[in-house]
Amino acid sequence: MQVAEELSMNIIEELNGNIENIALKLRGFIRDQVKGFKKKGVVIGVSGGIDSAVALALCVQELGKENVYGLILPEEESSPSSKILGTEICKSLGVSYEEVPISPILKSLNIYDQKEQLIKRNFPEYDPKIHKTSLVLPDFLNQGLLNVPYIRLIKDGETVARCRLRANDYLELIGLQNVKQRSRMIVQYMHAEKLNYAVCGTTNKTELALGQFVKYGDGGADLEPLADCYKIQVYSLGKLLNVNEEIIKRPPSADTWSNYTTDEEFYWRMPIQILDQLLYAQEHQLPLQIIEKNTGMSREKIEKTQRHINRIRDATEYVRAVPPICYINR
Amino acid sequence: MEQIKNDIVNYLKANSFMDNNSSLEDDDSLTQNGIIDSIGLLELMDYICEKYSIEIPEDMLTPENFDSLQGITNMITKLAK
Repeated sequence: MQVAEELSMNIIEELNGNIENIALKLRGFIRDQVKGFKKKGVVIGVSGGIDSAVALALCVQELGKENVYGLILPEEESSPSSKILGTEICKSLGVSYEEVPISPILKSLNIYDQKEQLIKRNFPEYDPKIHKTSLVLPDFLNQGLLNVPYIRLIKDGETVARCRLRANDYLELIGLQNVKQRSRMIVQYMHAEKLNYAVCGTTNKTELALGQFVKYGDGGADLEPLADCYKIQVYSLGKLLNVNEEIIKRPPSADTWSNYTTDEEFYWRMPIQILDQLLYAQEHQLPLQIIEKNTGMSREKIEKTQRHINRIRDATEYVRAVPPICYINR
Repeated sequence: MEQIKNDIVNYLKANSFMDNNSSLEDDDSLTQNGIIDSIGLLELMDYICEKYSIEIPEDMLTPENFDSLQGITNMITKLAK
C-alpha cells in the first residue's frame, strides 16, 4: 500500500467493506464444510444475540431452512429477552426450532447451589430472591487497571455491593459458570447426531483473539463460519442479512449472570469499535500514525492497550489450543 | 524493604512459573517474563493481602504496582504504613 493511501485509511470502512462478498464466501464455506463432513444440515444454538442470528441466516440462505435446526437453550439466570429474540429469528427465517431449558442439567450438578454458596462467602447478605449478580472487570481504556474480577450485587437495578474475588473463588466460579455453555453444547450434539447434522459454532474473530469462548462449550463446534470476522463485521453482515434491529441493537453478552452483563463489562473493557480497530491494526501491522488518526487515542495509550491485548492473547492460548498429540513415529 | 523483596521472590519461586535457579531484577516484568499470568496475579494479590494484612484499593491495581518486584515492594510499603 502506498504511504499516502495508507495514511488516509479508515479502518472501520475497511472492516465494513466488501460485506456482500464476505457473506458469499461464508455461505460457500458452510456448504463445503457440511458436505465435507457428509452431514445433511446444521444445528445452531440460537442465543438471541447477533452472532448466532447471522450464522443462522447464512446457514438458511445456503442450506435451505429445512436443513437448519435452531435450539433455544435458556437457564434460570438467562435474560427473558434472549429466548424471545432467539425464537423470533427462528420463526422469521422459517427454521424448525426447539426450546430445551438447561437448568435441570445445571441443577443436577448443583451449579446454582454452589454458586450461591460462593457468592454468600463474599456477601453474607446475598439473597438470590432480591439480589442479582454479575462479574465485571474494571474499564481498561480510561482507568488502565489490571484484569482483576469483581463481583457485583445488584438490588432494584442499583449496585449495592462490590468485592474483589479471591483467586480460588474466581477459579471455582468460572468452572461453575462454564458448565452452562458446555451443557448447551451437549444438547446441540444430542440433536445434531439424531438428525445427522453438524453443529455450527458462532464464535467471531474478536472472541477468538481474546479467548472469549468456553473450551469444549460454545467453542466445541464442527464449523466456525464467523471466526475470521471481527465483531464489527458480524454487525455489518447482520444488516446485510436483515437481522431484526432489536438483535442488532442489543448489547452483546454471554448472558450467564442474573444481572445482564455485557461483553464490554467483562471481556472487552473498551468499546468494540476501539477494540476491533486495534485488533485489525495488529493483524495488518498498521503504523501508529494510522491507529492514532482512526481511534483518536494517544500513541502512549495505543501502545499500552496493545500490550494489554497481547497479554490477553497469551493468557488465552490454552483456550484456543487443540489437544497436542505426541506423534510417536516422527 | 529488602525483607519484602525477599518474601515476594520466595513466594514467586514457590508459586509461579519462575525458575528456582533464576534471579529477578527489581524492574523485570513479571508478565513479560512469563513469571505470572492473570490467575497468578490474583494469587499474588491474595498472598500480599494476607501476609501484610492490607487491603489493596481498586485504584492501586495497576500494572505499575504489580508488574515488577520494585513496583510491588513500593506499593506494599505505602499501604503497610
